[in-house]
Amino acid sequence: MPKMDEAQKTARIDSLQEELTGLITAVRTETDSKKRRKMIAQIGAYNRKIDTIKSGKMLSREAKRDLVAYSFIAPNFIGFCVFTLIPIVFAFALAFMNWDGSNPVQWAGLSNFIKLKDDVFFVAALKNTILYCVGTVPLTMAASLALAIVLNQKVKGRGIFRTLSFFPYVASLVAITSVWKMLFHPSKGPINNLLYTVFHVPQDKLPQWFTGGLVLLSMILFSIWKYMGYYMVIYLAGLQGIPGELYEAASLDGATTWQKFRYVTWPQLSSTTFFVVVMLTINCFKVYDVAIMLAAGGNGTLTESSTVLVYYIYQKAFIDWNLGYSSAVAMVLFLLVLLVTIIQFRGQAKRDRV
Amino acid sequence: MKKKILSVLLTAAMMSTLLAGCGNGAGSADSSSDQGTAGTTDSTTDNSGTADAGSSQTDAPASAEPVTLKWAIWDEATTPYWQDLKDAYEATHDNVTIEMVDLGSTDYMTVLATELSGDGTDFDVVTIKDVPGYATLVQKNAIMALDDYIAADGVDLGKYAGATDQVTVDGKLYELPFRNDFWVVFYNKDLFDAKGVPYPTNDMTFEQYDELARKMTDTTFGSQVYGAHYHTWRSDVQLFAVLDGKHTILDGNYDYMKPYYEMVLDQEADGVCRKYTDLTTEGLHYSAAFSGGDVAMMNMGSWFIATMIANLQSGEYDSSLCGNWGIVKYPHADGVEPGSTLGTITGISVTSATDTPDAAWDFVKFVSGEEGAAVMASSGNFPAIMTDEAMDLIVNLDGFPTDDASKEALNVANLYLEVPYAENVSEINSILDTYHGSIMSGEMSIDEGIAKMNEEVTKVLGQ
Repeated sequence: MPKMDEAQKTARIDSLQEELTGLITAVRTETDSKKRRKMIAQIGAYNRKIDTIKSGKMLSREAKRDLVAYSFIAPNFIGFCVFTLIPIVFAFALAFMNWDGSNPVQWAGLSNFIKLKDDVFFVAALKNTILYCVGTVPLTMAASLALAIVLNQKVKGRGIFRTLSFFPYVASLVAITSVWKMLFHPSKGPINNLLYTVFHVPQDKLPQWFTGGLVLLSMILFSIWKYMGYYMVIYLAGLQGIPGELYEAASLDGATTWQKFRYVTWPQLSSTTFFVVVMLTINCFKVYDVAIMLAAGGNGTLTESSTVLVYYIYQKAFIDWNLGYSSAVAMVLFLLVLLVTIIQFRGQAKRDRV
Repeated sequence: MKKKILSVLLTAAMMSTLLAGCGNGAGSADSSSDQGTAGTTDSTTDNSGTADAGSSQTDAPASAEPVTLKWAIWDEATTPYWQDLKDAYEATHDNVTIEMVDLGSTDYMTVLATELSGDGTDFDVVTIKDVPGYATLVQKNAIMALDDYIAADGVDLGKYAGATDQVTVDGKLYELPFRNDFWVVFYNKDLFDAKGVPYPTNDMTFEQYDELARKMTDTTFGSQVYGAHYHTWRSDVQLFAVLDGKHTILDGNYDYMKPYYEMVLDQEADGVCRKYTDLTTEGLHYSAAFSGGDVAMMNMGSWFIATMIANLQSGEYDSSLCGNWGIVKYPHADGVEPGSTLGTITGISVTSATDTPDAAWDFVKFVSGEEGAAVMASSGNFPAIMTDEAMDLIVNLDGFPTDDASKEALNVANLYLEVPYAENVSEINSILDTYHGSIMSGEMSIDEGIAKMNEEVTKVLGQ
């Protein structure tokens, strides 16, 4: 702000003061509460302006305080902006363009989205991803809750069982998928061997676990097994947060075990369940590693029966260099996740009110 | 409520971060491609003046300014010829230092294309592993058209035996091949001797090949012998079909592949070869399959010759299992000249972004020329320029099969590139790969898979 001499300063203050009094009288007569609130905010702004001019400093006290506060969040926020926010906004824009990463960007309008519905691979990827989620989310939740309840009892070797069920989550994905593949190997695996020798499934009818319709089932089973340990730990923490008096009171009222679960445990766990379901859903929609490791074989290509959205995004972006189209697919994934998350937040908010 | 919506948005945003990574470095792209083209035109005008000095490279003045060329390669540790080429070039060019950057072989072309996006690259020379990757780089203007240099230095493209024609884009050539592999049939002589079956020959038809594979097969548990082995690549099965020279993978109609899918799937059903689904589940590498000593015949590229020689010498492969091997020409369909086979070229080119295009070109010319060819041949690799000396070097290598048929097998009659250049070749390639997987794994019948190929590729071609 340029330095003003005293005369100018007083003149400016006077004119501001005049507008201020005008506003104050207007507020008195205004009946609409919304407009009133707006005016009161304006009065505050005028007051601050006058203060700043009077004290002759560059920044008012409030502005300084704000700046200090912003400086505290800056390190994180700048990183978030550069590496997350800007790329996301850019991906939004890119979905309406055609770009190969080098040549000038071309405007494409909605054509990328229109193409999606005729794209066999996109439709297959979308279908597989949704099926995978529908299969994985409820089953993982149920399995981890059951595990948590069992391992929350005072059973012998509780520590060992807790560790064992957490182990798949810690183990390297590459290592355990190789083991999984050996177990389910179509002609040499022990699972198919068992089916052949004990259940007398003819050799040419033995299930092909990693191709065709069964590949999704394999992926779902694998994910449940790998991730239930992690969600079990979260549920355990939730279970231990339930006060014992509630169970005591329930037993005094003669509640059965099932009733205790139904009316004490489950409602008390609702916020834990909410967290688990949101995280599970988001992680499921992101599935890529499990599909590649289990279904892709040597040359890293997924067929129609095993392709998933993230793989297709990667393929379109970095193999075919069709960044616009791949961003359009990414937007579909974004909307899917957004939709599911909104529904869950809504449900949770309703439950909280009850 | 507002806060809630915000947090919903942020949660969703967090997960899509992963997907949005492709957005970086956007604004700079235009300027880079501009610079690229400007660089090209400048350098070509410069070069016409300096072409004479460049072509007499052996007596290049020692006082020339020191230049460092950054060169993109893969698998430096297991592929000796990179170092050989670098040493040979640096020995005659005191002022030039070649700096090799290893990008790994698995997704080399993807990594390279990412490196060359935007204007952040400092590569001068890049190796180009396959044609789809080449097409990508050309469309991204990441590599230079070499025609002006080729004309100025009088490089004779005839020496490449037609390979350069199949990668010419709109009359311009953006790479020069320095390695040219072709497919042959490897066979294990010990297995044939044990069965008392005569060795395969250089002029088998497909019927004879199929018959031979079945004759060699032994499905007895514990002493299995597979008559044939097909790796999981598309090229291993469906490209038998393009050897008649009438079809290419860019046709948009793939009905002609049916007989070969039938042959291989029938063999699979009869236990003549390992099952595709087993191979993908195990991730079995073709080299492990052949060196295990239970595969009688395997079709594979000539790069495997150098691997066999090196690994048998080092003792990595058990010579009692696969030490007695030979090669013959690819089988041929009726009425097609024997010796028609598939080829894969490895090219080298100059990036558009390089500051020293002349020096980079000189290195490219060296690697792809006769001197480079001699270096390649000395380690058992097939140079793009197949001179008699290079051929002699390879067949006289210690460890190369000594029979005449194996030597004769190296004479190629017609070479068809696995993937010739086309604008959408990368997408076509993905589609064919996908449905090859579907057919081979039994997800689709042969007819369904081929119908899908026809449908999807036609869509791409129609764009």
